Amino acid sequence: MLLPKFDYNAPADLEEACQIMANYGDQAKLLAGGTDLLIALKKKEATPSQVVALDRVEDIKGVCEDDDGLYLGSRTTAAEIAEFDFGPAGQALSQAASQVGSPLIRNLATVGGNLSTAMPAADTAPPLLALQASVVLQRYGDQRVVALSDFFVGPGEQIMLPEEIMSMIFLPRLPDGSGGAFEKLGVRKALERSIVSVAAVVSLADDGQTVKEARIALGAVAPTPMLAHNAAAGLCGMKAAPENFAEAGKNAAQEARPRGLRTSAVYSRLMVEALTVRALTKAYEIACK
Amino acid sequence: MKKCHITFQLNGITCEVLVNPNQTLLRMLREDLSLTGTKYGCGEGDCGSCTVLLDGEPVNSCLVLAAQVDGHRITTIEGLADGDKLHPLQTSFIERGAIQCGFCTPGMLLSAKALLDEQPDPSELEVRTAISGNLCRCTGYQKIVEAILAVAKPDCECSSNDEKNCHGGD
Repeated sequence: MLLPKFDYNAPADLEEACQIMANYGDQAKLLAGGTDLLIALKKKEATPSQVVALDRVEDIKGVCEDDDGLYLGSRTTAAEIAEFDFGPAGQALSQAASQVGSPLIRNLATVGGNLSTAMPAADTAPPLLALQASVVLQRYGDQRVVALSDFFVGPGEQIMLPEEIMSMIFLPRLPDGSGGAFEKLGVRKALERSIVSVAAVVSLADDGQTVKEARIALGAVAPTPMLAHNAAAGLCGMKAAPENFAEAGKNAAQEARPRGLRTSAVYSRLMVEALTVRALTKAYEIACK
Repeated sequence: MKKCHITFQLNGITCEVLVNPNQTLLRMLREDLSLTGTKYGCGEGDCGSCTVLLDGEPVNSCLVLAAQVDGHRITTIEGLADGDKLHPLQTSFIERGAIQCGFCTPGMLLSAKALLDEQPDPSELEVRTAISGNLCRCTGYQKIVEAILAVAKPDCECSSNDEKNCHGGD
């Protein structure tokens, strides 16, 4: 498979990258890990005149921290995220990253790429939604911060302008007594696009038994990764107990909007229910530690 | 389409190459540099037959642009042996029948090498995970896993038995 013709740009920093994107707009495509873009180029689904590689843009790689929370560079790879200690709640994210594609893919694929390709089954989207992430979108001379829950529009669509570059993902600091977990259903253990995925983050009250806050996010069961608001709201103030997790599972299944494309909608909902219970149970166990 | 001038380390040798921007690393290796040990399978990152090590980490070279390796270090299957002396993994694959058609073998070996470089004493699960991006349609994986474990744990019972059998046939 031959790639279409394009010019290659390798800006040295974010400012230069923004400048190039400002010049070319929708004629340019950003290249991060390349695991989606190269396939799109080979299939001629993308025919940019310019490819802008972010390899040399060091300031959007890695993780840094301050009192408010964590800043995850968009160019951080799935392999790096899988190895990083994001704390008890952040385990949802590292678990999800460890299940992206294969080891070969994880060494290339980036979190920014996973989010901006905006696939309903994107592995890192549910944990980041459950962790209340927001994304920093940079363009020449300007930037905006958007809650991840407002980022996705539809399958393969998100709100980024053609000249924008996702630089960072911000994860707010969660209270002590929080835990997170990710559950993915697929027919094989590697190179699998999720049939259903669920991330849950639970914060416990001081008594260690009452759910103070919860977030449940679903993948591959709606046109975009989504938060199951009702299921999570129903848990708040309740005891962290199996019957309440089961109820949350039922609610999450109702909130899911499966289109019945890769599997039947009935099956998707059943799996949302089961995976939600599992994810909540694990998140609770992690929060207790 | 302006050509890109890149400099990188290939199997320990500094290379300077002029590449087309739309050239993948895989095509550059096979067609410009005649290193055909790296195989072209699916071209979409699913089969792993094009695996190379990029700064020591295994990646699908069909999903990397040649221009991206500027300033980086690449190891291909041609860089695994030390002259005429095969890498222990290569010897182990041959001795334990872990090679049938051989198309997946260069990728398997490089994924295995990256694992052992990082984790010299892996569990079977770690071995299976490490090669989970490398598909083999012949062997059923069992002999590949055994061959990798035999290098990691040369003293374990199963591998020493195998070794006797293999040497008996030499």
